[in-house]
Amino acid sequence: MTKKRKKNPKVLLLAALAVIFVVLVVVYFSGGGGEKIRHETEPSGPGGLSADGEAPTTRTITLFFLSEDDDLLHAEKREVPAGRSVAEDVETAVGELLKGSSGDLVSPFPPETKVRQVFLDEDGTAFVDFSREFAENAAFGASSEMAAVYAVVNTVAVNLKSVKRVSILIEGGERETLGGHIDLSRPLLPQYSLVAK
Amino acid sequence: MKRQGTTAFLGAVILLSVVVPSRPRTLPGPEPQSSQPSVLVVSVRDLGGSSRVTLSSTVPLPYSFEKRTGALQVTFETPLAFRVRQAAFAGGFVRSVGWSQGRGSYAFTIELASESFSFKPSIREDPFELSIDLGPAPAEAPKPVAAPAPDAPAASGRETPAAPGPGPLPGDQPTRFKTIVIDPGHGGIETGAKGKFGALEKDITLAIGLKLRAIIEKNLAFRVFMTRDKDMDVSLENRSALANNHKADLFISIHANGSPRKNSHGSETYFLSQNATDEESRRLAYLENSSGDLEGRIEGDGRDDIKLILWDLAQASYLKQSSQLAESIQSGLNALLGTANRGVKQAPFKVLTGAACPAVLVETAFISNPEEEKELGTEAFQDSVAQAVYLSLVEYLKLYP
Repeated sequence: MTKKRKKNPKVLLLAALAVIFVVLVVVYFSGGGGEKIRHETEPSGPGGLSADGEAPTTRTITLFFLSEDDDLLHAEKREVPAGRSVAEDVETAVGELLKGSSGDLVSPFPPETKVRQVFLDEDGTAFVDFSREFAENAAFGASSEMAAVYAVVNTVAVNLKSVKRVSILIEGGERETLGGHIDLSRPLLPQYSLVAK
Repeated sequence: MKRQGTTAFLGAVILLSVVVPSRPRTLPGPEPQSSQPSVLVVSVRDLGGSSRVTLSSTVPLPYSFEKRTGALQVTFETPLAFRVRQAAFAGGFVRSVGWSQGRGSYAFTIELASESFSFKPSIREDPFELSIDLGPAPAEAPKPVAAPAPDAPAASGRETPAAPGPGPLPGDQPTRFKTIVIDPGHGGIETGAKGKFGALEKDITLAIGLKLRAIIEKNLAFRVFMTRDKDMDVSLENRSALANNHKADLFISIHANGSPRKNSHGSETYFLSQNATDEESRRLAYLENSSGDLEGRIEGDGRDDIKLILWDLAQASYLKQSSQLAESIQSGLNALLGTANRGVKQAPFKVLTGAACPAVLVETAFISNPEEEKELGTEAFQDSVAQAVYLSLVEYLKLYP
């Protein structure tokens, strides 16, 4: 009897402690989880903020392609949905570029090329990550490689004022060159001297 | 920077348009009445002690001589356009033959092994052939040909053999072999641009590179290294590293162009654009130093950023010389190839960034253009490219002996 009496408070105490512990654990983790969710939602807020506060639904962008007439880049205007962030606008512009000309301009890109992702750093460099086809499905000569590289760099820089330089990545990584010519190991400045007047 | 680049580009264009366009195109057959192209063939034979330069042409040409110190200039007055071809060159007393085209004239400059010399012309008509025997001046006892200084490392380099090669360099300055690196573009699995008929850029660049090596070794006191002399993969970094390891004086990369446009055609020569003159490199500008010092500082693999920027600065200090070499090569190509002149351009070519010496990249013609693809595959065209680059090199060396 006495044994039972002694045992019972101990068991109860242990049980109570266990319950408190479990509750604490649950509260702790659910609290942390809640914070995490808030973190995920937050960045898209400031990132997606459009400069004038009210997001316009479309914007007109300039794309660069080659022409049959000369070896310069030629501009083509296109109406696209406005993105919620600079990165999104870059991705849209490059995506449109890869679709090719809607007129009779010539695309310097291998047709299978896709944009994988775009991100920006604080110094105004846009990193545009392409699928492997960009480097592997073309036998680039110097002219075609320059056209492909600067069609991207100029298109991104001309449409997004905050972008000063463009770094081209392939499958998420740095690559020496696309096909043995233009140095991609560092960000490139736009070259408007390659654009037809 | 962008503005600077544009200005430089415009400057190059203006310079070219001043220098070049007055020149009639030296296409084969600019004369409608003759079905055959007018060709001026230059050959040099070693006669043991003296040399004979022969200039022959399909049409007779009025000529005149001008004797200078260590050189003889032969001028042909003619309104016709010619393609100049060098047939054979066994130097001996003649160090080099350069040529330039003026308004209605072609001037050949024959550089000789000694400052004073004598010459004896003889002429043969139909076909027109002007032979000039050149030898040491009679008063002057033939100097023993100074053996080239043996200080050049005899390692794996292919030294130009001293004996049949050119004579001593002018003046008493100690002879130091210049070192040139020829870089045939692409190679191995990296084919470069492809032609419609299956020609590959890597094969054409190699063929031209080997021909260029042969001409240079035969005619100039140069050590010549190739970044590849067969079909193999060589990384771009290793190409410039090879130049730096051998303390190269010049780096010439040979390419054939490719464009998505079939119509793109012509020849162009590139040197490095200064993309690196960006804030980040300016921040590190204090690291700038003389390029001579650079080689000592950068050893092993230069993968980190500071080293990369130093490489850029190394090339930056050679930009002027690179541009002059590019100009010289471009005019050489214009004169000898009959291709369209696309001019001298600047671009951030990876292979040029690392070389700590004047460096250029020659886009000989477009492999993506069916007509030029055929040309690029012929021995004659490849010979002409090699010849043009060689003659341009001789011109360039007058600026930087």
